Amino acid sequence: MEPEQKAYKYEMKPLFKERMQSLLPDKEDFDNFEKIVHTGPQSFIRCNTLKISTKELLTKLQKKWKVIQPFPKHPEIMLITQDLGPGELGNALEHLLGYYYVQEVSSMMSAIALEPKPDELILDLCASPGSKTTQIAAKMENKGTIIANDLKIDRIKILSSNLERCGVTNTIITRQDAIGLCAKLSKSEFKFDKILLDAPCSGEGTLRSSPKTFIMWNPKVIEKFSRQQKKFIAFALKCLKKGGTLVYSTCTHSPEEDESVIDFAVKNFPVKIESFTLPLKCRPGITAWKNDSFHKEVQKSCRIYPHDNDSEGFFVCKMTLMEEIK
Amino acid sequence: MRPQFLRSSEKKKLVEEIKEAYGIEELPFLLLEVGKQKIRAYSGNLSKDEITQLAHIVRVETMGLYILSKRDGPARINFDALPILKDQITKNIVKINEEQLNSWIRGNDLEIEAQEGFVVLQYQEDLVGTGKSTGNKILNYIPKERQIKSQTQKTIYNSNN
Repeated sequence: MEPEQKAYKYEMKPLFKERMQSLLPDKEDFDNFEKIVHTGPQSFIRCNTLKISTKELLTKLQKKWKVIQPFPKHPEIMLITQDLGPGELGNALEHLLGYYYVQEVSSMMSAIALEPKPDELILDLCASPGSKTTQIAAKMENKGTIIANDLKIDRIKILSSNLERCGVTNTIITRQDAIGLCAKLSKSEFKFDKILLDAPCSGEGTLRSSPKTFIMWNPKVIEKFSRQQKKFIAFALKCLKKGGTLVYSTCTHSPEEDESVIDFAVKNFPVKIESFTLPLKCRPGITAWKNDSFHKEVQKSCRIYPHDNDSEGFFVCKMTLMEEIK
Repeated sequence: MRPQFLRSSEKKKLVEEIKEAYGIEELPFLLLEVGKQKIRAYSGNLSKDEITQLAHIVRVETMGLYILSKRDGPARINFDALPILKDQITKNIVKINEEQLNSWIRGNDLEIEAQEGFVVLQYQEDLVGTGKSTGNKILNYIPKERQIKSQTQKTIYNSNN
């Protein structure tokens, strides 16, 4: 007799389940994935070192919550290990004062991979709501310059509000479609040391914090995003200096939006995919999906699965531009 | 946004004003004036010419941090700029207790006697806002969208001691 299947509030659509089973062919592995995506995310925050030291913030927060720093090399990442009331993180005085940013740990990985340095010129192409922009600004100690771009005015308002709350002073906010912005910048004298392309995506990695993704998931959207992401990366690379770094990230597992985009970049532009280490467990990028095979360098990408890290799902890839693109 | 940079004479005058009001001796930023007499501070490494050039190429929405308002007469430090100017602020500080803090962060005015003019409120070691003192009351300037609305907050602060 078959064991009774546990009923969840939201169910995976059959095609999504099938695709995830292809990515995670081991039954136990997939079962662990399926189990964790039906649980809420952990309560991670990131200390905003532009306003307070990690030590000072920890002291303040430990007076009311159980807080740990799970990654010794990244003390700014903090985890609240007790149950919190609704809105409690966002309503604390320390949040009001901009001492921390509520941010899921996997989404912190792209800025860590970027390794921003003070005095660099960095483009954050799809910047709103600003979690990664504020993280980059903190790493840059408010020096250098970030150009943080997004398309819609309502998203710009959210971005601006978060930058204000975090005391970011080194950023210029622009409002333009990513391709139009890159087309204009690539013809100018502005060439960037680093670019973060945290691309709009189907959001398969956000099931824990946004269960509506179970319902919204649609394979047509994946194809649409994939085409758009390839355009974005093609135009973004034209804005990089020779030797500059581009970090591409998404919060989705779909290979069309992840490895396929990296494969497109490797095969069409003078880029070198870099190896990098992150404080989360990474699985290598895949080299085949459906009828497509990808360049072997794509394996240097990092797939972050929720059940490996008790996090959300994420994808990160880091590349260097070997020759400036005219 | 067309960046309107403060001339050095304007910056000098502004620094004199905030030195008198708050004890702040320097503003190590490129300063810009935007709508409604708001002063924004940019600490990045692009020059004025580069920023102007950038604004010709792409649509610049805003830049840097809103640090001061001159809208209501003397310069008032913006709420979000307090931590980055904290080390320089030595004058017109009003210390408040936990009960006053709980009321203040919800957007309420405080019945406190202080010298008339803009003051900076301090709770323990944190600067928690600027307000306008009328002599016996401090008018609240925390932006509405930032004020705490939830009733649960009281519990959060009480457990902080």
